[in-house]
Amino acid sequence: MARLKFLCDTDRCIECNACATSCKNEHEVPWGMVRRRVVTLNDGEPGEKSIAISCMHCTDAPCVAVCPVSTLYQTDIGVVLHDKDTCIGCGYCFYACPFGAPQFPRATLFGSRGTMDKCTYCAGGPEENGSEAEFRKYGRNRIAEGKLPICAEVCSTRALLAGDGDVVGEIYRERTVARGFGSGAWGWKTAYYPEQDS
Amino acid sequence: MSEPVVVHGRDFVKYRIGGAIVAVLLALALVWQVYELFDGDARTIPEVRWGVTEYDGRTMGAQDEASGLLAAQSLAARTTFQAERYQTGPSPEAERPDYGVAPNTRMTTAPMDYGEELSEGWAALGGDSGAILHEPGRVVGLSSLPYPGAALFERPFGRDWRLGIADIATHLGALAILGMGFLLALVLAVRGRVPIAKGRDGRKVKRFGLIERSTHWLTSVSFIGLALTGIVIAFGKTLLMPFGEPFLGAAGWISTWGHMMFFPPFALGIVVMAVMWIRRNLPERLDLTWLRMGGGFFSDGGPNPPARKFNAGQKLIFWSAILGGALMVATGVTLMFPFVWADLGALSWAMLIHAVIGLLLISVFVAHIYIGTVGMQGAFWAMWGGDVDRNWAEEHHALWLRQVELEEGRTKP
Repeated sequence: MARLKFLCDTDRCIECNACATSCKNEHEVPWGMVRRRVVTLNDGEPGEKSIAISCMHCTDAPCVAVCPVSTLYQTDIGVVLHDKDTCIGCGYCFYACPFGAPQFPRATLFGSRGTMDKCTYCAGGPEENGSEAEFRKYGRNRIAEGKLPICAEVCSTRALLAGDGDVVGEIYRERTVARGFGSGAWGWKTAYYPEQDS
Repeated sequence: MSEPVVVHGRDFVKYRIGGAIVAVLLALALVWQVYELFDGDARTIPEVRWGVTEYDGRTMGAQDEASGLLAAQSLAARTTFQAERYQTGPSPEAERPDYGVAPNTRMTTAPMDYGEELSEGWAALGGDSGAILHEPGRVVGLSSLPYPGAALFERPFGRDWRLGIADIATHLGALAILGMGFLLALVLAVRGRVPIAKGRDGRKVKRFGLIERSTHWLTSVSFIGLALTGIVIAFGKTLLMPFGEPFLGAAGWISTWGHMMFFPPFALGIVVMAVMWIRRNLPERLDLTWLRMGGGFFSDGGPNPPARKFNAGQKLIFWSAILGGALMVATGVTLMFPFVWADLGALSWAMLIHAVIGLLLISVFVAHIYIGTVGMQGAFWAMWGGDVDRNWAEEHHALWLRQVELEEGRTKP
């Protein structure tokens, strides 16, 4: 079984924002929301790093655990999906997310929160895979076509890796050995190995 | 207090039978809740599997479980694309392998029931994975995007928040509410109602004016509305899932609206109530005596500790409503306007406080509703019609009754 993951190599990310832009374009994400962002650490100082972040599709996903209406669910490849038809915009997933992934359009109830939107790992939602209805609500379903997320496949420096966790880990390991340094897989401990003691 | 007891609590047989039945039901609910606490289903498990299905462009075939392996293999193969070409090939001259799904197929999803083992396997560190982990911690940088929270990379606190809401607040809240209900039903079954021991006098005493009563009912109806909608939001997945996901979604949506709609009258009621009753609810030495004697709750013939218009129990209810209500309104409004004055950390805490205090308030007001209706003979009419029986007033609010009659004597010679 493949367990899909994201890994961003902070030593390679050049903050070009192509991942964020192509994601927004691929899924026609509405105004005011982003499924993937690039965060820069120590901007302008020695040791500056950039890192792309979106939903990490966690193991033992906290958002799924707290959702009061069963909107969020996980699939057997690790991808966490959501059902826009049942979401009530309560924001629980937003408070439980370790990566700030869930987004709410500034629209309707519970003050200014509409129904939640987040990264789908380019795997659509509960509608029929590849259907028009699915595209309107969740964006393109690349997984249904056997492809991986656009953000990673578009990455010009191959900083952002997506796909089977073992393969991704192997690629990263070989890369760090070849170049002699690497600051590790950021966020992996929180996202994928929450039960391991550090 | 030496006068003979005419009405006994134990004489309310029908009430006591009802209490016994409810106590048994609530005991079962408590057992279920305790089981939920320890049934070990707190870990998120996958519910949907991927597979490969025949697809001719128009009709989708059925997906079988074995095709999951094929789906996994093709995704893993596609992943190797991202490696350095000199490592994994193919060389630029070689023909590119056609990764992705085979022609005339699609990856599709179907429900599954073996998620538990998957989740467990994922959580275990296999092979060399441990070597590449970066130390977890709160990481916030800079982002070129103009959205609140865009600069956040990682906040492990999210996982703690999940424990707080899903494994602590909701379980403890359910225990508090069910436990309170169970205790009260048990009291009703064993002790019966608190009677008007000397029987009804027939003479009425004016206890609550129109404004007091309408404020009370404005606040209480909106509180019950907020409580019920809040319960759907907090426990909907457990309570309503058996009726189907569409029902749960509809109930959740109505509750979302309802929770907003009941909030303004509740907030108004809290403010008016505070202004109206705060002077009479300030604590005094008398309250200690009242509390030490348990309010004279457990014996029919007294002695009943003396009280003014509000006894210590009522004062506690008043202050739970005012302080708890104020806290609920403050946190609730904060949550309604995310990022206006609170950042993500503050919002998370506001949500936890809102949930915990809300559940405790429900439990406290279950007791208030009990004592104001079935728990005590004659109590309900004080807040409904505004008048109480003189004997009731004498037994429970002797000091207040004396004052009222003194004032009446002065105005009506």
